[in-house]
Amino acid sequence: MSASKKISKKDIVKILSQWNQEFAVLVPSKEGDVTRMARWDGKDTGFMDSHRNTVQPVKANFFPPMEEMFSFQKNKEGYHIELASPDEHKLLIFAIRPCDANALAILDMAFKDGYEDPYYLSRRKGTVLIGLGCTNPYGSCFCTSMGGSPFDSTNVDIMLTDIGNEFLIEEITEAGKELVARTEELEEAKKTDEAKAKQVKETSYNKVTRKIDTRDIDKKLLASFENKDYWEKVSAKCISCGICTFLCPTCYCFDINDDLLKKQGARFRSWDSCAFPVYTRMPMENPRVEKWRRVRQKVCHKFEFFPMSFGSIACVGCGRCIRLCPVNWDITQTIESVPEIT
Amino acid sequence: MTVTDMSQRKKFFANDNVYLPHIAIIEKVIDETPGVKTFHFNFKDEKLRKEFSFNSGQFAEYSVLGVGEAPFCISSSPSRSDHLEFATQQVGKVTNALHRLGVGAEIGFRGPYGNGFPLDFLQGKNLVFVGGGIGLAPLRSLIWNAIDNRDKYENIDIIYGARSPDDLCFKYDLDAWDKDKTINITSTIDKEDKSWSGRVGFVPKVLEEVAPSASNTVAIVCGPPVMIRFTFPVLIKLGFTPEQMITTLEKKMKCGIGKCGRCNIGNLYVCRDGPVFTYAQIKNFVSSEY
Amino acid sequence: MKNSEIEQRLRQEAKALLEQGKVDYIVGYEAGSLKFTTTPLITRNKDDVERLIVSPFIVNNLSVYLAEIKGRVGIAAKGCDSRSIVNLMQDNKIAREDVVIMGIPCPGLIDLKKIELLLGKDRDELDSVTRDNDRAVITIDGKEKDFPMAEVLFDNCLECEFPVPRESDVLLGEPCALVTGEVSKKTGIKELEAMPRRERWNYWKEEFSRCIRCYACRNVCPACFCQRCFVEESEPQWVSPTPKWQDNLMFQVTRNIHVAGRCTDCGECERACPMNIPLRSLAKKMYDIVDELFQYKAGTDKNASPLLTAYEAIEAEDFIR
Repeated sequence: MSASKKISKKDIVKILSQWNQEFAVLVPSKEGDVTRMARWDGKDTGFMDSHRNTVQPVKANFFPPMEEMFSFQKNKEGYHIELASPDEHKLLIFAIRPCDANALAILDMAFKDGYEDPYYLSRRKGTVLIGLGCTNPYGSCFCTSMGGSPFDSTNVDIMLTDIGNEFLIEEITEAGKELVARTEELEEAKKTDEAKAKQVKETSYNKVTRKIDTRDIDKKLLASFENKDYWEKVSAKCISCGICTFLCPTCYCFDINDDLLKKQGARFRSWDSCAFPVYTRMPMENPRVEKWRRVRQKVCHKFEFFPMSFGSIACVGCGRCIRLCPVNWDITQTIESVPEIT
Repeated sequence: MTVTDMSQRKKFFANDNVYLPHIAIIEKVIDETPGVKTFHFNFKDEKLRKEFSFNSGQFAEYSVLGVGEAPFCISSSPSRSDHLEFATQQVGKVTNALHRLGVGAEIGFRGPYGNGFPLDFLQGKNLVFVGGGIGLAPLRSLIWNAIDNRDKYENIDIIYGARSPDDLCFKYDLDAWDKDKTINITSTIDKEDKSWSGRVGFVPKVLEEVAPSASNTVAIVCGPPVMIRFTFPVLIKLGFTPEQMITTLEKKMKCGIGKCGRCNIGNLYVCRDGPVFTYAQIKNFVSSEY
Repeated sequence: MKNSEIEQRLRQEAKALLEQGKVDYIVGYEAGSLKFTTTPLITRNKDDVERLIVSPFIVNNLSVYLAEIKGRVGIAAKGCDSRSIVNLMQDNKIAREDVVIMGIPCPGLIDLKKIELLLGKDRDELDSVTRDNDRAVITIDGKEKDFPMAEVLFDNCLECEFPVPRESDVLLGEPCALVTGEVSKKTGIKELEAMPRRERWNYWKEEFSRCIRCYACRNVCPACFCQRCFVEESEPQWVSPTPKWQDNLMFQVTRNIHVAGRCTDCGECERACPMNIPLRSLAKKMYDIVDELFQYKAGTDKNASPLLTAYEAIEAEDFIR
């Protein structure tokens, strides 16, 4: 890809302000010391200091922890159902990391398939992703083992490389090209900039030291499906909370519940997790009472079932689950420990 | 993309949004057993009433708005479409709310979902229906469908049982099928009961005694999970191949359309790739999860 | 006593317990998969005990596993953990004879979140973090920085009253000096109580708007062992499963009430929360109220009746008016 422009870091407010006319610009923000992508307030540049990925994944901006599906009212004529009016703004996400962008591509497959999910897809439509490559990966990152890399530009419209005082711009999609074309106050990039960017990318790639081998992992998992001893050992320290699921950029299970106050209410969907026993609980039986079955479901869904249906492992190697698990349960250790097929 | 081709499925969306329920009005409530009721209903919207269609074995998500939503099969037959029916046992929050509703009450309806029974595959064959308790609900949709298209199918055998005479559902159907000379029905209850002069024994055992021929036959099984698990070995003993055995499964469901994740068996979603499965499909998998 | 000595004794003790068939499982800490992090080790295999470690980062309250492990367990327990174990015995979740408590006197654990905030760096960017008496020595890019321990210990460690396990079968080290200090100013109980009511309400409304109902706070807590938590009930539905701030707040407050008299201030709830909600401020307030009203500190006396589930006729009834 050719790079011809760059953003000078001191001009960042000017650039984002232009984009803010057309889009709802989201930047890495902090709330209560928890980082997430949130609406840029128009002047703050604190996000320029954030040199790592956010705690809350970008999925939360398209598939939020809680959203109203519709509201209803009851009057003399009966029930009347109403949809909330959709948000008119298109989103522009600034400094999305390659792993989170790849995760959106995975979620797109799930939410488009069969019956299209109107809530997720209407937010996704027209979104522009400005990727920022990772020059300082976490010790928990393993994107290079999951088909990605710190500078993987497969699913972004523009890829930015931090070369010191500037971000070098690479136009990836048509939408990215068009955006660059109509943005003012960009600087011309020099040959030395491109050389520097190349070096930055190589150094960053080598900083990802956590690696796993996922060859034939789907077959291995299928062969070990009934190996109760193995799954009991693997699941022993899990405490069945929802952290790994909720903070995973590719997990998308949800719950649907109604709220009622007198004669009006709303139906909400909210994040749910296969780690919870109540997830599959029916009044008469629960197929996953035992913790080892739930842990098995988590691992097999991501590394075997989802690939069977969609051709892609549902994990981008962002490492949030490893970093934030209260007991440091580690999916990479589990994948490496799945028995070989005999 | 995914396992099942969804392109032929009929979609009746309200406002282009698959999660929005249509409003339906309850027209009749039948007490099947203590704890089980059948509801007859029709859509409020005239146009939808005329256009709606479904296949036997498909289900829908029924709402009591403000309480919640739950999946039940459509228990009426597509061949008798002046109204729609579903049956439910009172077991939790949503079903308790449903059972409190009477004629004229409004419910939400999203559907039809699921794959339905494979009518093309069943055509020209002998059909053996094996049902237990409220499991007869999806089967009766297909049974009436088959009766209304009788010449498409060969022999029809029904083996149906419940815990006690009081627990037999759809007694009016059982009487009607008993009178129908083109069908063989064997009803049974689990344990001896003074008010019952018919057969006694668990459904799988009675199936073994009735011993229908496996030649050019498809067995369609629905009932409590424990009944299904014991029925399959009997069918195998009788010579049925895994492709000749069909069942319809039940799982906790919320979205009903293969998105929320909870009804999966492996990479299949019971709501989207089922609920009708052949034994061949599920036997590989999850000996303990269906 | 140095951690390495306690560690050696722990390994010896654990191995002996398994070899002599006195326990079926050993539950302790081993090195985690991230820098400085430790992780629970649950094993039946005597060769695995070589992986057991003792370090300033052994944060987990391992007693949370006791109720679910079927068999006799040899468990490594710090002061607060041993109190949780006593609670479980009082609640009849485990029998005393089924547990061998290997007590670890604890001088306080280092809160990596505090270090990250002080240095503006994440933990994997640090070379080393070690304890040198009352100072924490941190090396970054070869350069050393040190802080008073009081600035880097967990809040609950700064307020610890029982660093030496009160109940144990074997004590693996000598009692150690406590380091006390001021807990984090922003979220301390004193600061919150000084806020006017409306401001305090808005504070908690904002904090609980971040809650995503991952239930990590509930699941790390050894006192939360209900098979079916009240949030999972649908008839009646006490609290909505949807994470609205009102329901989130109700969930946490109700949880605090449910564990009142059994919470040992191990601090795990706050540490586990991925949204940095100051849960310990609520938990510790409840802990203080229990102490004030009943002069009772959970898990310090294994012969005591559980506070809120035992009734004695002589109890004051001044709440009945």
